[in-house]
Amino acid sequence: MNTSEAKERLLLYRGPIDDADPQFQEALAHARRDPELAEWVREQRKSYDTIRSKLREIEPPSDLAEKIIRKRPIPFRRGWTQILKLAAAIIISASITAVSLKLWQRESHRLVQGKEIVVKGEVLDMTCYIAYNMSGPEHAGCARDCIKRGLPVGIKATDGKVYLLVGTNWRRRESLNSQLAEYAAKTVTIRGKETMRDGFAQLQVEEIRKS
Amino acid sequence: MSVDPEFETLVKLYYQDLYRFGFSLTRNEADACDLTQETFYIWANKGHQLKDLGKVKGWLFTTLHREFLQMSRRQERFTDEPISDVVQDFPQVSADVVNRIDAQTMLKVLGQIDEGYRAPLVLYYSEDLSYKEIADVLEIPLGTVQSRIARGKMHLFQLLTETHHSSCQST
Repeated sequence: MNTSEAKERLLLYRGPIDDADPQFQEALAHARRDPELAEWVREQRKSYDTIRSKLREIEPPSDLAEKIIRKRPIPFRRGWTQILKLAAAIIISASITAVSLKLWQRESHRLVQGKEIVVKGEVLDMTCYIAYNMSGPEHAGCARDCIKRGLPVGIKATDGKVYLLVGTNWRRRESLNSQLAEYAAKTVTIRGKETMRDGFAQLQVEEIRKS
Repeated sequence: MSVDPEFETLVKLYYQDLYRFGFSLTRNEADACDLTQETFYIWANKGHQLKDLGKVKGWLFTTLHREFLQMSRRQERFTDEPISDVVQDFPQVSADVVNRIDAQTMLKVLGQIDEGYRAPLVLYYSEDLSYKEIADVLEIPLGTVQSRIARGKMHLFQLLTETHHSSCQST
């Protein structure tokens, strides 16, 4: 290797970082024997170090690291296992939602439809019964007037359970009240559908029979 | 959002080097910040694909360079001359001359060098990467990297000499 060939090799030599690189070994050995070449290498290295330090003076904005960390996206790693797990989770939760919805719909449907029952008992004026605990033959006149006036009407079954009697709309309730007013404090048999509202039993009247 | 300590450590370890590389390529602070940020976000989503964690730095530099190429949409062809042709015309620039030039002027001078030479040159000077690593980062063959560094270095020295002469004349 002559000096020109050694220079050609050492043109890219940066110092310790390249010491282990075999491409520089022979040329460096040559430089150790040639003082002029050694001086050239020293000068090359000095200008390399100076340029390097100049370039490393460049500083990023002070808040850059914090900004990057703060705005970090949530990684979505698209491995097949994760995709399958995610798909399974979606299917399971969709199925649970669908089943729950179906059950809820069925339950509400049942509530609206109600269970058909037949109740035999005393026709009550609910206002006086609840507010003043008044019922029975001695209260029949008052109860008839209240029921006629459209106040809530109920029935107290022979087992003691009280139902609020309702119709499907206020007109039918009016009609219901006028039908039942003459039976105030008397015993009748009512066929209808039992529903619950806030824990209170209601009977949607379909048929009234004198007992 | 909770902070991922690994991500935070990685950012703190490499954001300055990446920014420096990005700034040398774009010569623009905002673009360099964008490139650095984007590089880390790509890492957040795809970094797990890297099997050898010892290659993180190279991976980040490669990603930033790819993003830069995408950003600039410039894919020029370079004539890669053998180093021997470069050596013959190589200007000598003393460290004293370089010392008198500030970092901003150095960047300005670097900016005049074509991107195909600038990227390997910046990695050669600023980062402690081997030639093989620089070749991997830029995704070009090792011989091409060395030839581009040599040619880029020659161009840089010519420009530094000119800058030095013109500043001497003006004073």
